[in-house]
Amino acid sequence: MSKKEAKMETKKLCPIAFSLLAVLFLSVSVYAQPKIIKIGAIYPLTGNLATTGLDCKRGVEMAVEIINGKYDLNLPLARTEGLPNLGGAKIEIIFGDSKGDPRNGMAEAERLVTQEKVVAVIGAYQSAVTKTASQATERLKIPYVCSDSTSPTLTERGFKYFFRAECTDTIFAKNQFEFLEDIKKKTKSKIETVALLYENTEWGANVGKAEQQYAKEFKYKIVADIPYSQNATDVSSEVGVLIKNKPDVLLHASYITDAILYTKTFKELSFSPKGFVTMAGYLEPGYLATVKADGNYMVVRSTFALDLAKRKPLVAQVNDLYKKKYGMEMSGNAARSFTAPFVVAEAINRVKSIEAEAVTKALMGTNIPGGQIINPWKGIQFDPATHQNVYATGILVQIQNEQYQTIWPFDMASKDVRWPFPGWKK
Amino acid sequence: MQNLSFKQISSGIIVLILLILFPFAFPKPFPQHVMILVFMFGMTGVAWNIMGGYAGMFSFGQVAFFGIGAYTSSFLLITYHINPWLGLVVGGLIAALVGAAIGYPCSNLRGHYFAIASIAFGEIVRTHFNNWKLIGAAEGMTLPMLSESFKNFMFHSSKLPYYYIILAFLILSLGVCHFVATSKMGYYFRAIKESHDVAKVLGIHVVAYRLIAIMISAFLTAMAGTFYAQYVLYLDPESVLILPISVQIVLIAMLGGASSVMGPVIGAAILMPVSEITRVLLGHKGTGVDMMIYGALITLISVYQPKGVWGLFSNIGKRAK
Amino acid sequence: MPDQLIQQIVNGLLIGFIYSLIAIGLTLIWGVMNIVNFAHGDFLMLGMFTSFWLYTLYGLDPLFSIPICAAFLFISGLLIYRFIVSKVMKGPVLAQLVVTFGVSIFLANLAVFLWTPDFRLIEKPLLHGTWEIGSIKLSVPKFVATIGSVVVSFFVLLFLKKTKTGKAILATEMDREAALLMGINTERINSVSFALGSALVGVAGAFLSMYYYIYPQVGGTFGLIAFCVVALGGFGSIEGAFLAGIIVGLAQTLGGFFIDPAYKFAIVFFIYLVTVWIRPQGLLGW
Repeated sequence: MSKKEAKMETKKLCPIAFSLLAVLFLSVSVYAQPKIIKIGAIYPLTGNLATTGLDCKRGVEMAVEIINGKYDLNLPLARTEGLPNLGGAKIEIIFGDSKGDPRNGMAEAERLVTQEKVVAVIGAYQSAVTKTASQATERLKIPYVCSDSTSPTLTERGFKYFFRAECTDTIFAKNQFEFLEDIKKKTKSKIETVALLYENTEWGANVGKAEQQYAKEFKYKIVADIPYSQNATDVSSEVGVLIKNKPDVLLHASYITDAILYTKTFKELSFSPKGFVTMAGYLEPGYLATVKADGNYMVVRSTFALDLAKRKPLVAQVNDLYKKKYGMEMSGNAARSFTAPFVVAEAINRVKSIEAEAVTKALMGTNIPGGQIINPWKGIQFDPATHQNVYATGILVQIQNEQYQTIWPFDMASKDVRWPFPGWKK
Repeated sequence: MQNLSFKQISSGIIVLILLILFPFAFPKPFPQHVMILVFMFGMTGVAWNIMGGYAGMFSFGQVAFFGIGAYTSSFLLITYHINPWLGLVVGGLIAALVGAAIGYPCSNLRGHYFAIASIAFGEIVRTHFNNWKLIGAAEGMTLPMLSESFKNFMFHSSKLPYYYIILAFLILSLGVCHFVATSKMGYYFRAIKESHDVAKVLGIHVVAYRLIAIMISAFLTAMAGTFYAQYVLYLDPESVLILPISVQIVLIAMLGGASSVMGPVIGAAILMPVSEITRVLLGHKGTGVDMMIYGALITLISVYQPKGVWGLFSNIGKRAK
Repeated sequence: MPDQLIQQIVNGLLIGFIYSLIAIGLTLIWGVMNIVNFAHGDFLMLGMFTSFWLYTLYGLDPLFSIPICAAFLFISGLLIYRFIVSKVMKGPVLAQLVVTFGVSIFLANLAVFLWTPDFRLIEKPLLHGTWEIGSIKLSVPKFVATIGSVVVSFFVLLFLKKTKTGKAILATEMDREAALLMGINTERINSVSFALGSALVGVAGAFLSMYYYIYPQVGGTFGLIAFCVVALGGFGSIEGAFLAGIIVGLAQTLGGFFIDPAYKFAIVFFIYLVTVWIRPQGLLGW
């Protein structure tokens, strides 16, 4: 080859080489960006709370579908496919089954982080499981966003990597008494005494404690304070005690199995206080499907209700999607678990990184406006010390004509509360 | 005291070396967690064996001792800042005393009646703890996150120290069980298991030895409870005092081979990985298939290898001779 | 106040008779074969689901599905005995204790697999509602279940005392070896007893499905109490199980009402412990 020809060859090679290099560079940088972002989700998918866990799972999966797809919804990341700041990377949820046991919460969190390499963890519905799971993530320095456990102790631990979007039981308990105060003013109903009925594990006992505190603060007399064991075969004695003490209002914190059993026993033994103000179990789709009309008049605490759609069309839009996918209305549980994936994904997208410290810092700065969530809050913003969502509040819904209607706060209500309880129809 | 054969000692040492090296071959937390569960439950199975397999008291209430151990050391740590190692000993002693206290009136109970009494005992303890405000009642107790150290019995950056501690506990229990099995005490236990009347005729103080068996069993089980508390850092009655834990302990001892020292360890080595792995692989679907497999496995082993899997090994050993 | 007392006594009896019915099947199996059937509660669950599906798919009221539940559980019990339990009868006691445990876990999760963990309820059984006698409320389905329990127990006792097979069962219960020597085919007696015990709890399931909610884990709740009842009454004694069921029901409701609902079951267990301390073989056991 002559010198001239060699020079010609090199000249021809240069653009090719350059293009090759460019392609290589681009593909490397694209490759360096994750295509799939894994998030771990821990729920009681088998065991006694399986129906609840599966409900939560639906909420999470719905959220991920919206994030990964393109939907004309006013939710973070809905209008783009995946996370736009990370090249359209998609979220993949890896579920872990806690079986309702805190020990599994810890093990699953560790496994999801160290083996499945999730960048964040969400869940776990039961506060006791969330406790141990988030302890594990705190040790591993991985962010944990909880939107479905309500024990106040979770955000009293001074953890750096744990964030909670949902309301606490302390706030819910206070809501109950604020509601009673409002009812007294509105209906001139005389309400002086309450009975506390709660299931006796970590969650219920915490609720009971908060209710005792607020009863004293709001000056109501507690005429009966009854903790009970879950999954009872018969609750005649508990209801008997309630009947004997004649409370004006019953405050009941229960999981779904007991909500069903108690409702039937209330009817059977004709326990008719002026009102039932309840938590959790009464909100589950399985409850209403089982007791049907007997559930009417039950007031339940919630952070979601379908009739919020009247003020926030987003709720109806999301519910329609959910109904199309699962053939049922979105429940309170599904709605709560629906929130966490958005919070995590939004933070990751904002800071353009999946690295734990960066994401944690991003979560500290989370400021999702109320219009972009289906919960009835002013938004999601975490307190710098406790990492509790400062805007999380509860609402109360009431079952009317076998449907959940928002009835409190009165300025958010879609229907008037039906008070007092008219007694059991045969 | 019978001496172990050379073959037994050497195979034991080989297994021990393998177990010591295990965390290095499997540095991820999950396999280490599974092994920790194997050792912890294996320990409770060995403890059960002392009163069950050897002395004939089939207890379905071991969880009460487990919980007492866990709660005692945790309560002392949280409220009085007492070192958990000391709390471990106190928990064991309290469990032993409670065991003796309940065992004494039950001295005449045998077989099914004893089993049901032990269930009743476990449930009474659970109900009581669930309502006892002093130790947190239903809300349970959260252990403070102290700085990592052997003295604090708490480790955050790695599971390895937990792994070796529970392995050491297990070896200790095996030692105790071996001692019991091969000593005169073990002979008395077996006589009592066979027949109270015969034992009495032989001059054995039946009640006293039953209580001793219970107390040893309770102490060791409570040790495992303290370990659990220091490992998971949270306990409530639903996680350390429920009947399914008692049942699991019996299953482990039985499947591995009751009335053999190593049996429960084999049982734990089978059951714990099976339940953990099926949960991981299948649990998240929520279909219950993982537990169906677990149930089927228990049934099959009961039917086809009722003396426990350990029986398989000792048969192989015998045939090899 | 006396009204409340009477109401709680009524409640206690209503739940007690159901416990009796569940316990009778268990004590039969226990007495004859010395086997603790830990899967008994799950047979109850199967009975409940059978009744539920017959109602939902074919509109058959639970009252009329009783014979079908009985038959289905009889056959299931027979099969489980033949293919699983009989094989451990000659083995160590512990294997016998544990094998039904495996069956229990399997059945409960099979139910989850087939029917999901959701809760079901038979909404409008033929017999529903509450009677009011003065100020005492009497739940109709529970009352029917009570009557049913008495009737069934009566017929079971009749069967055991008057028929040849029944007497053979009693003989085997009392002394297995003697029964063998007398030419009784104890193996056949085993299968019949196991099947019969299962059928009885299937009937209990049909009654229970009239008012209790149905789900895969429901067996656990009732099963544990059934063991207490059987042990309290004395293993193998039908009359004992019947009586003990009522005692447990009353203890549960009265104890829960007058002492503390949270300690309801602790009271039941405590009564059991006290009874066996005083009389180790149970109330009417031998």
